[in-house]
Amino acid sequence: MFENILTGLYTLADGMMLFSIAAGVIGGVIVGILPGLTSTMAIALLIPLTFNLPPHIGLAMLGGIYVASTYSGSISAILLNIPGTPASVATALDGNPMSKKGESNRAIVLSTFASCIGGIASVFALLLIAPPLAEFSLKFGSYEYFLLALFGVTVIASLSVGAIEKGFISGALGLLLSTIGFHPLTGFTRFTNDIPSLYDGIPLVVSLIGLFSIPEVISMLSTNSNIKDETQIKQQNNFAKFFPEILQQKMNILRSSIIGIIVGIIPGVGSSIGGFIAYDAAKKYSKKPEEFGKGSPDGIVASETANNAVTGGTLIPLLTLGIPGNPVTAVFLGGIMIHGLKPGAELFTVNSDITYGFILSLFISNLLFVPIGFLIAKYFIKITLIPYSILAPIILCLAVIGSYSIRGSTDDIIIMLFVGILGYVLNFFQVPRAPLILGLVLGTMAESELARSLSLSHGSVSDFFIHLVTRPISLVILLLCAYALYRGFTQHKKHNKG
Amino acid sequence: MKKSFLSVFLCISVLGTFAIAKDYPAKPVSMIVAYSPGGGTDTAARVVSKYVKPYLKQRLVIKNKPGAGGQIGFTSLSTANNDGYTIGFINIPSIFLVKELRKNVKYNISDFETIANIQLDPVVLAVKADSPFKTFADFLEAAKKRTLNIGGDGPQSNNQLQLLIAQDKIGFKTNFVPYNGSGPSITATLGGQIDASVPSATSASNHVNNGRLRVLAVFADKPYEYLPGVPTISQASGVNVPSIGAALRGIAAPKNISATQKKFLENAFGNMMKDKEFLLYAKKTNLPLQYMNSIEFDTYLKKTQKEIKRYMHLLK
Repeated sequence: MFENILTGLYTLADGMMLFSIAAGVIGGVIVGILPGLTSTMAIALLIPLTFNLPPHIGLAMLGGIYVASTYSGSISAILLNIPGTPASVATALDGNPMSKKGESNRAIVLSTFASCIGGIASVFALLLIAPPLAEFSLKFGSYEYFLLALFGVTVIASLSVGAIEKGFISGALGLLLSTIGFHPLTGFTRFTNDIPSLYDGIPLVVSLIGLFSIPEVISMLSTNSNIKDETQIKQQNNFAKFFPEILQQKMNILRSSIIGIIVGIIPGVGSSIGGFIAYDAAKKYSKKPEEFGKGSPDGIVASETANNAVTGGTLIPLLTLGIPGNPVTAVFLGGIMIHGLKPGAELFTVNSDITYGFILSLFISNLLFVPIGFLIAKYFIKITLIPYSILAPIILCLAVIGSYSIRGSTDDIIIMLFVGILGYVLNFFQVPRAPLILGLVLGTMAESELARSLSLSHGSVSDFFIHLVTRPISLVILLLCAYALYRGFTQHKKHNKG
Repeated sequence: MKKSFLSVFLCISVLGTFAIAKDYPAKPVSMIVAYSPGGGTDTAARVVSKYVKPYLKQRLVIKNKPGAGGQIGFTSLSTANNDGYTIGFINIPSIFLVKELRKNVKYNISDFETIANIQLDPVVLAVKADSPFKTFADFLEAAKKRTLNIGGDGPQSNNQLQLLIAQDKIGFKTNFVPYNGSGPSITATLGGQIDASVPSATSASNHVNNGRLRVLAVFADKPYEYLPGVPTISQASGVNVPSIGAALRGIAAPKNISATQKKFLENAFGNMMKDKEFLLYAKKTNLPLQYMNSIEFDTYLKKTQKEIKRYMHLLK
């Protein structure tokens, strides 16, 4: 182990290597801030370039993009209420209210350090205990995935600021929208009107852009002006001041890191769900749950710690087994294979210099996005000073470009605008939008995994239920679901009485 | 700033007009890939783009048009300008399956002009390394006793079609469980969630080398070069099973591209397939190359089209 880490350090101690990490992190922060530019796309487009570089340098750059963009989605979520990536939807819930109270810097400091710590915790897991965790990830089958999606639905209540009923409306809308397109097991097309762009359903990132950007643009254009006093921002332009606050969040960070890592190693679940579950857990354990949704520091820290903890988690099955857990790592796999490297045992023996060099580079990337993030955020924060009449068209342009670039399709712009109008209507009636995104993510998962589980049980419903309670992990998730429901009911009762 | 934009724009448009007059190709050629960046087809396309450059004497620019299982990209290639500056990377038999299984598909197979085939990626039958099925015979024996769960990319994929053809010819039944690609079906196999899977050979070979997966048979006419010792399905079962489920990746252009341009492209890709560096790279990364010139590729296409029609009822 130590030998490997030493060879990794040797690989790392290379000017070119450090340069490529820095380039990756800077690029990643920018990609993450801009809604519509995803890390998957950035990495996919960079792979042909890294083709001509030595593998460790190419991988380090891709790793920098991955972790930095996962973090920086929170900057736009906090300042503009437009999550830069699906992973930062839960961050917006508290980040933006805090920013509106004039505490943008505080929110950014919390999210930056939380991301950094979560990311580093997950890289430690990758470095030290990857093989057993990878074996664990294989234990997840369709039954477990289905229950996990159900468990995710119970989180909706936590994401609903104000009336829970409105949260359910939004979540149900998301579930409904997720049924557009091919049925995952039969290939039957639903609600598509024979338009091929709808066959694969509504792309998540396109709906994310529409749902959050368009309502923001409309509300900016319908308010008079936002000329603020610049001194107000300058006064608190001191990032270091908020650092001690993060130290009070030890338990929250520990819990959220573990949740993030576990969600990360399960193939196919993804960073947005990691953020949502950690947010929900933080709210349940918080001493001040009533502050959630109104600018609670706990909420920001939970979501950001978890979504960056997912990054190291997803690399565990990728490097040890060659199993990619999300679109980014699927592209990563291509980036590894293109160099003739073979994920699996060989990566840790024959190519240990490259692999450990890459793993150690992730520590640097996770640390490096702190100063780079602060530097970029320092200028980005001034965005709130731009008059709305200028800012709104810029956001609209970015939304159009972003949704077009996902698949290079003009149809996606129309889909984005449609979802945008829906988002505006929801916002108008004060229906929270985060549950819709959750519903969209979980709907596809719940539907396909339920159908697949039933197919695996040869269509027998009784066999299906027997499997649910006899498989150990499935039973644990089932109990978690029951507990979440029970807690939900008792809290709701208490709330109604009070 | 405005001025420089204007001059760049002028340059591009002037270059564009001269391009037709000069020798072909006078500007980068774009290649439509009907799948997302980072996927198997896209990665293969990007490798091709790197190694064909010296022969094409221009850059080959990848344009991803993903969605609807390739339908969007194939349609966009069929309606592309046939000036020789847009070509596409097509997948057989996906291009047929999409056409046959859906209404409203706007392209016809005759809309494409074949240039060259690059890859042939057969379907394989894979089990977990510690599975009780050591050979295809073990598998067949079990399949006749109980209904096995077989995972694979799907639904209505080339993998499923290949399994169904084998079942039809050899005479056994299974429960096909569709997964979101060959990768996830392998993951489920490794985790013991299913009895076996029918992934593509390229996605299985790395796991075989890692000692976690065992391939019982290759659905191809000849053994697969990166899985030595694994029999073909016909060798393993003693029954002749057509291998039309194998995925081909080749270059095509919109129809009525000029004959000289077609010849030039065919030579460029043909020479690339003989390039020493490219062959070395392919071996290192386990790329299953299978060159066919435009006539061979066209013949294969026509033959497969007929055969697919014969077996289509199995998928419906």
